[in-house]
Amino acid sequence: MPESLSARNIVKRYGGVVALSDGNLDVHTGEVVALIGANGSGKSTMSKVINGVVVLDGGQLLLDNNPVHWSSPQAAKNLGIATVFQELSLIPQMTVAENIWLTREPMTAIGTVNRKVLHEKTEELLSLFRGTYKVDLHPDDPIVSLPSDEKQIIEILKAISFDPWLIILDEATASLDSRQVQRLFELVEDWKEAGKAIIFVSHRMEEIFRIADRYSVLRNGKTVGAGDMKDVSEKELVKLMIEKESVFEYIRKDSKNGENEEKPVCLEVKELQTVTLKGINFSVREGELVGIGGLRGQGQRELLHSLFGDVPYSGTVKLFGNGYKFKHPREAMQIGLALVPGDRGREGLLSIRSILDNLQLPSWPRYGFPLRIKKAKRDAEQVGESLNLKMAGLEEPVSSLSGGNAQKVVLGKWLVRKPKLFLLDDPTKGVDVGTKAEIYSLLTQLCDEGKTILFYSSDDEELIGLCDRVLVLHDGIIRTELSGPSLTKENLISASLGVSNGFHPESRTGGTL
Amino acid sequence: MKRFSVSPPVAALILAIVLFLLSGFLPNSYGSNVDIAIAQATNIVRLAVFLGVIAAGQTLVIISGSEGIDLSAGSVVTLTAILTYVYVSGENDRVLIALLISLGVGAVIGMLNGIGVTFLKVSPFVMTLGMSGVVTGAIIVVNHGTVSGRIAPIMTRLIARPVSPSIPIPGAVVIWLIFGVLMWLLLERTAFGKNLFAIGVNRVTAKLSGVNVTWTNLATYSLAGALAGFGGFLLVGNTGVVHIQLGQPFLFPSIAAVAVGGTLLSGGKGSYWGTMAGAIVLTLITSLLTTMQMPDSVRRMVLGGTLLILISIYGRQRSLRL
Repeated sequence: MPESLSARNIVKRYGGVVALSDGNLDVHTGEVVALIGANGSGKSTMSKVINGVVVLDGGQLLLDNNPVHWSSPQAAKNLGIATVFQELSLIPQMTVAENIWLTREPMTAIGTVNRKVLHEKTEELLSLFRGTYKVDLHPDDPIVSLPSDEKQIIEILKAISFDPWLIILDEATASLDSRQVQRLFELVEDWKEAGKAIIFVSHRMEEIFRIADRYSVLRNGKTVGAGDMKDVSEKELVKLMIEKESVFEYIRKDSKNGENEEKPVCLEVKELQTVTLKGINFSVREGELVGIGGLRGQGQRELLHSLFGDVPYSGTVKLFGNGYKFKHPREAMQIGLALVPGDRGREGLLSIRSILDNLQLPSWPRYGFPLRIKKAKRDAEQVGESLNLKMAGLEEPVSSLSGGNAQKVVLGKWLVRKPKLFLLDDPTKGVDVGTKAEIYSLLTQLCDEGKTILFYSSDDEELIGLCDRVLVLHDGIIRTELSGPSLTKENLISASLGVSNGFHPESRTGGTL
Repeated sequence: MKRFSVSPPVAALILAIVLFLLSGFLPNSYGSNVDIAIAQATNIVRLAVFLGVIAAGQTLVIISGSEGIDLSAGSVVTLTAILTYVYVSGENDRVLIALLISLGVGAVIGMLNGIGVTFLKVSPFVMTLGMSGVVTGAIIVVNHGTVSGRIAPIMTRLIARPVSPSIPIPGAVVIWLIFGVLMWLLLERTAFGKNLFAIGVNRVTAKLSGVNVTWTNLATYSLAGALAGFGGFLLVGNTGVVHIQLGQPFLFPSIAAVAVGGTLLSGGKGSYWGTMAGAIVLTLITSLLTTMQMPDSVRRMVLGGTLLILISIYGRQRSLRL
């Protein structure tokens, strides 16, 4: 069994995007190393380099100080490196036992699967978490019938079944409840004693301090700090994660906070609950640009989609002074809402249809029968011009556009309708710098015209640079509201990670409620 | 980097014309006699009308995506043909009501398909195949295998005969042209048509852009059923007789005509002009092979081969342009 693994000066590029420029990590048997960083700092890429899922473009991996190279994820697995994936790698139609032992099924003498041994070995693994299951788990339960926390446990057990010496826990606790996390941590202690090494990737500061012995901080693809947990405080870690000089060029108009005070409330949300949201309260005034912050997957998407009538929820939503409960996005559109979804290709565009069809999709019923195509074209043309949309013609397929221009189409199809409240789900994701700047000025221009914008971004700088206020979501609730002088990157990241010190307690429940 | 490319409907139409001109050299064909050539061409288009109309509903469900297909079209054609035949019983003044019955019965069957596909989440293939069986069974039960009736003279006059002695174009062809314009209007000049293409490409995007996906899907299947019903009405007006297998031979050609016309079988892109061209090509090839006195086995092979070649060419064009 190896005793240590080191990553030295790792470089990894995806196309033109540099995910890691100088990643470093050391891990030894008998210890837990926490891999920490903000959104997009390269944590996931780092784990994928270590477990051989991606091929590195530069740098070196050392196993017991000897260079190694993984030709495939299987090669890393064979040398005892197992990963608990964040995106579940289980096959839904197969049973618990089949999933855990896939490709390594115990065989009988005649070459069939030995179900008895399979059962016994699976039961043995399942007993590790016995007592934390909602309903008792059996080896023959199909994965599809399990809740997400139990799927995550199976994922953990699958990794353990390889009997690895190094275990990478990539956000493994995100969907577990506190009892399950407790059990996992007990197991981690056992593994440490048994001479295993653990890399713990997590966003939860509290957990990092509970379990980790050492830390390694990534920022923008670089390792910027490492050391013993006992020598460091939460605040110091957060500081390491934040860039010193800001590259953000957008300058916010500071005078806006005051002048919106007299404007009427345009959106009021009370106790909004869904599967992931656990009671959201806030209100937004007309003309405000309110940001939604927090780590990915804390319920931001669901909040925007439920306001738009796409996801069922409980609670009350008041828009422009009236209560609504939309059953379909069409109803939300009709009173002046617009949603720019987070996944452009899957939720925002009709790839093979023309730019015209994409821009006018929500608005066709306005053009009568037979559709006044010429007028539709003129309107689309106008929106295209106002957005500086670069295209060969309205009849070209939208798939011929670059990412930035395609995003302009997704925005543009709402501008045709002149909505009053925009719900934006990470609208600058995967968009070039030039288009980003254009989107920023469009957003402020819309606010100046009296439109209201609710804006989620995975880019903290954007939130700070653009928004009047930022609501930080964590674990399905608004953990903190930041505005004015408290809207700093440090506060934003601390709040995202669920660190609660350093804020005024009165701002902890969101909004003007 | 604009490259020369022909849209599938045009390609199919050119193919049809070339094939027809080449067929002049075949034995038993029109040779150098222009009058016979025109008469033959007219006849082929007339025969294509019925396939073309039956394939209209097929075009809609295929555009609607999510593996949309209507395998019950053939049996609906048979059913409404028999209903028309029995109900009209040679009376001119019953024809209009028979038409409405055909459309209505077709629409109800289509709606049942739509309910199964939309709400019960049965795959369109299974749902419409099952419906086809049910409808065929129902025809047998109701008629005990025999029917008595007669079509009305006015149907023969409007569908099977030329428009007037001086204009030798069959009524069916004129009906088809009007029908084609209506289909174009539906697909290209109504919000419903635009929504239909949208759900065919991406139902999530469609819903988030305010399209009522459920309703659009249900309406599409209902409409497809009604169009198949219309096909049955037209067909019996031409044949003048009915039998239990009247519609079934049109089923697979109706899907083939849609594909030859360049409509994406995965949905979201296509046109009825294409389907019309496709129907003409398929009818032409069949009648040419019949003229050449080819056995049925060869006819099937040639039809299948043509289909494969055309569709693989379309696929290639698309991948080059993207």
